Amino acid sequence: MTVPTLETLVRSVPTSLGSHGPVLAEIRAALRSPHTSLVSVSGAIEKDPDLTARLLRLGNSAFYGFATRLATVAEVVSLIGLQQVEALLVASSVIERFRGVALEFVTMESFWRHSLACGIAARALALARRTPKADRFFVEGLLHDVGRLVLYAQAPDLAQDVFKVYRGERILLREAESRVLGYDHAQLGAALLRHWQNPQMLVEAVAHHHAPEASGAAPIEAAIVHVADHVVNAMSVGSSGEHWVPPLRAAAWQSLHCPVEVLATVVEAVDEQLEPAEAVFLAPRSPGLGHE
Amino acid sequence: MPHIKAEQLQEGMVALGDVKNIDQMLLIPAGTVLTARHLNILRAWGVSEVEVVAGEGVPEPVDPMATLPPEVLAQLGEDLRARFFDWDDANLASVEVFRLMVQRQARRQSGA
Repeated sequence: MTVPTLETLVRSVPTSLGSHGPVLAEIRAALRSPHTSLVSVSGAIEKDPDLTARLLRLGNSAFYGFATRLATVAEVVSLIGLQQVEALLVASSVIERFRGVALEFVTMESFWRHSLACGIAARALALARRTPKADRFFVEGLLHDVGRLVLYAQAPDLAQDVFKVYRGERILLREAESRVLGYDHAQLGAALLRHWQNPQMLVEAVAHHHAPEASGAAPIEAAIVHVADHVVNAMSVGSSGEHWVPPLRAAAWQSLHCPVEVLATVVEAVDEQLEPAEAVFLAPRSPGLGHE
Repeated sequence: MPHIKAEQLQEGMVALGDVKNIDQMLLIPAGTVLTARHLNILRAWGVSEVEVVAGEGVPEPVDPMATLPPEVLAQLGEDLRARFFDWDDANLASVEVFRLMVQRQARRQSGA
């Protein structure tokens, strides 16, 4: 079987921004403009009732844990910030793009559960390190294995070959990928996100989440996702196909300068926030609402 | 009872000062008696320490590890360890993740 190049596989994925496209475009324009008002951005979001409901649900969930009840989109946006809203929209638009695709090796539900858990863990770890704008780590964690989704959805025959090799030997799934394809899911995911013109930090974190020290531009971002991935694989919440708990690289952990006690906070965050996050991100789009 | 690490906080303790997140947003006002919801809020925001006083009737935490028979606990540890690829005793962070997983599993099995 001919193995497609990384670029060919990436270009085979539909590029539509999905139902959140119009709002996402408006928010990106607002982020670039010096005259942005909260009212105009909130207004853009409120045109999409489904998105409005999701944002309110997220803003009032254990994910943020605000002490007061948030009743309007403007309140949510002003508390979590525009960049965070953008990050959450990117996350949901990627989930949206692959919705309804049948997979053979993992269920879509299990794949996103693992991904959401990794996003929650990465964000919790970033918060514990007092890293500002921690929501970007949620997106980086959420999308760290998106390359596997591309492989499973766009090249199921090749995925079959990868699993044949994987099951026959005591190796990690990414090693089987490299052997069959010549590249692994981290490279594939990064290429996809670069193709979709996502921020460089996100691309780097995904590209190097198995070897953070190899990242020139974002070794800390990649290390946070790497640790989060180790934790959630150990927790067995969902799966992207890997059955092992992949090794935690000591150098990556040390680069974060965290006491090991922080890991308990990360595990607790996943146990507390996974259910509300699933309700927000994985619930099917309300019929008859929004732009479509 | 001065500053207490977030993971040792219990319901019923009382916050001595305002608790804020890193962006100085007020999470819990001074004088609040902490409930399960407040503990979730602190975890969600990664607040590592809070200044508290002991509240009335704060119960002793139950150790789930103490309620399971040793052989069950040993089996549980063995099964978990077998899932770690290239297990390395010297990797302290990974050892801590493993320890947390044994605790979590023990808690689930004992129904605590």
